[in-house]
Amino acid sequence: MSNIQLRRISKSYGDVEVMNDINLEIQDGEFIVLVGPSGCGKSTLLRMIAGLEPITAGDLLFDDELVNELAPRDRDIAMVFQSYALYPHMDVARNMGFSLEIRGEKAQIIDQRTQKSADTLGLKGLLDRLPKALSGGQRQRVAMGRAIARDPKAFLFDEPLSNLDAALRVEMRLEIAKLHQRLGATMIYVTHDQVEALTLADRIVVLNEGKIQQIGKPLELYQSPANLFVANFIGSPTMNIFDVKRVGAELQLVNGALIGMSGGGAAVSFGIRPEHIAIVAQDKGHVVGTAEVVERLGSDSNIYTQVDGLGQVLIRHHGNTELNIGDKFGLEFNVSAAHLFDSDGIRLTLDK
Amino acid sequence: MSLTTNKNFAPDQKGQGWKIFKSPKLEPFLYLSPSIILICLVIFVPLVIGISYAFQSISLFRPSDTGWIGFEHFEDIYQDRKFYKSLRNTFWWTFTSVILQFSLGLGLAMLLKAGFKGQKFFQALIFLPWAVPTFLSALTWAWLFNPVIGPLSHWMFALGILDEPYNILADPSIAMYGPIAANVWFGIPFFAITLLAALQSIPDEMYEAAAIDGASKWQVFSKITLPFLAPMIVITVMLRTVWIANFADFIYVMTSGGPANSTQILSTYIFLTAFKKLDFGYASAVSVVLLVLLLIFATLLLKMRQKFVRVN
Repeated sequence: MSNIQLRRISKSYGDVEVMNDINLEIQDGEFIVLVGPSGCGKSTLLRMIAGLEPITAGDLLFDDELVNELAPRDRDIAMVFQSYALYPHMDVARNMGFSLEIRGEKAQIIDQRTQKSADTLGLKGLLDRLPKALSGGQRQRVAMGRAIARDPKAFLFDEPLSNLDAALRVEMRLEIAKLHQRLGATMIYVTHDQVEALTLADRIVVLNEGKIQQIGKPLELYQSPANLFVANFIGSPTMNIFDVKRVGAELQLVNGALIGMSGGGAAVSFGIRPEHIAIVAQDKGHVVGTAEVVERLGSDSNIYTQVDGLGQVLIRHHGNTELNIGDKFGLEFNVSAAHLFDSDGIRLTLDK
Repeated sequence: MSLTTNKNFAPDQKGQGWKIFKSPKLEPFLYLSPSIILICLVIFVPLVIGISYAFQSISLFRPSDTGWIGFEHFEDIYQDRKFYKSLRNTFWWTFTSVILQFSLGLGLAMLLKAGFKGQKFFQALIFLPWAVPTFLSALTWAWLFNPVIGPLSHWMFALGILDEPYNILADPSIAMYGPIAANVWFGIPFFAITLLAALQSIPDEMYEAAAIDGASKWQVFSKITLPFLAPMIVITVMLRTVWIANFADFIYVMTSGGPANSTQILSTYIFLTAFKKLDFGYASAVSVVLLVLLLIFATLLLKMRQKFVRVN
């Protein structure tokens, strides 16, 4: 177990720069999730930490020791691949004990360690099977077992759950969370799924176009996104964003409605999450809308509302909503939970 | 399926003659029949006739003395010193050639896999030996070893391998290395190309996982690459072994089995017996022995494949 530091890390392929000035300090035992849309460089960053991808510029330190030039085998890290990358010609036990076998451990110790990690992951009856005789979920477990058996300095996960079906994904997510609690190991986890990010992470690193957008605890990202990108990316369903203009001392939506916020001199966008819009009588609220689509999800419902001059607004309402398509109602924004962004997309801090 | 609605087709009763061909047991063979008939005509029939020659006396020099003689040829083979010499030479020729072709071919494939500038060009270039007719290659190699017109013996002399620049094809103790050298040169591309294809089919993630698991280069090669290549290795080695054991071109052109039978292998022995001594009966008997040996070898190798090969 160790702490990992990234200092001004950059990555280029030829003239194309894909990562720029990445700074990150990962504490011992921390669970870090790198999240972002596909092509944002999150996997490349993970592979640079693993040593599978050379670092163009900057320093990578494990326990204050520079490891830029170290081969993956000398970094003592374990990685769980998206495709699991199990060795098809080795049975489950040998797959899990392979790193120990390579290290020249005694057969007895290898056996002990594979047994133990097989117990942990419920793979006991499968130790002499070949990977091709396993289901997707079982393969995933073997890939994790392989990582656990070697007791590495850090665990790296590269979208480990994206090849599983939805139910299994939830189950394995829970297992990974438990695993982290039990082992207390440093873990770096790459995903494009914000639910995985929000549920697993101690801290989330949001990446876009090779740059870090924000680093923070899950709720921090949700409650105070640093910019429009994070605001849009974190939270499901996504935040409603409207253009605003300043009229006198007040901010006005493009359809002319006042939103009752005076601060934020440079504000051009107003963001409000679907759960922060209340449904009120037509003559109250900030604007009036008509329900276009009502999605009933059981625990709550999503109401896609058409507001004149503003376009579509998404509202999250309770599960037993009596609203129907075509109903007209007032929308009241919970202004204290809303955000303002300037023309560069940076969130403005408001004194409330 | 009913065809009754279509007036252009004859009613069902009329097609009854075809029904036996429509039976599910016979139908597949009907489709296969063109190739089965062809294979029978060009392989199976000659094979049976050839094997039957092994039990007959058919020599053009003794035209009156033809007829069935049972196992007489095989008894002669049992006593035939030239046969044993050829058999030993066949093993030497075959296994030396295959081992060198395979190891150099594998090395070349790994180099090509690693990738370098102009790799595509070299990949095409490497295939060239196969484009040259074997007869021409054999002649060229024979000339290369000839000290009057070729450089090889002078180079070997300069390197201290030979005491004086003479033609190694004329020295019974080392003559076999001549055709073997030519054969290795000729056979490397086959292994290089097939093994390169197999190497390229190994997922990169296997190497990445092995690197993270801490494997050294040698461990990656022995524990990842080789097991993945194993099925291809077994098949190519088997094919090439059978091929080379039967491959008489180089030896026939370069040495004709000489000097003093020192490069005589079974296939050249068979060829010379049949077409120089015109003793077809005896040549067929030797062929049958070679066929049995190769069948045993192929069976062993295929058994090994079932046991060791786990990737597929």
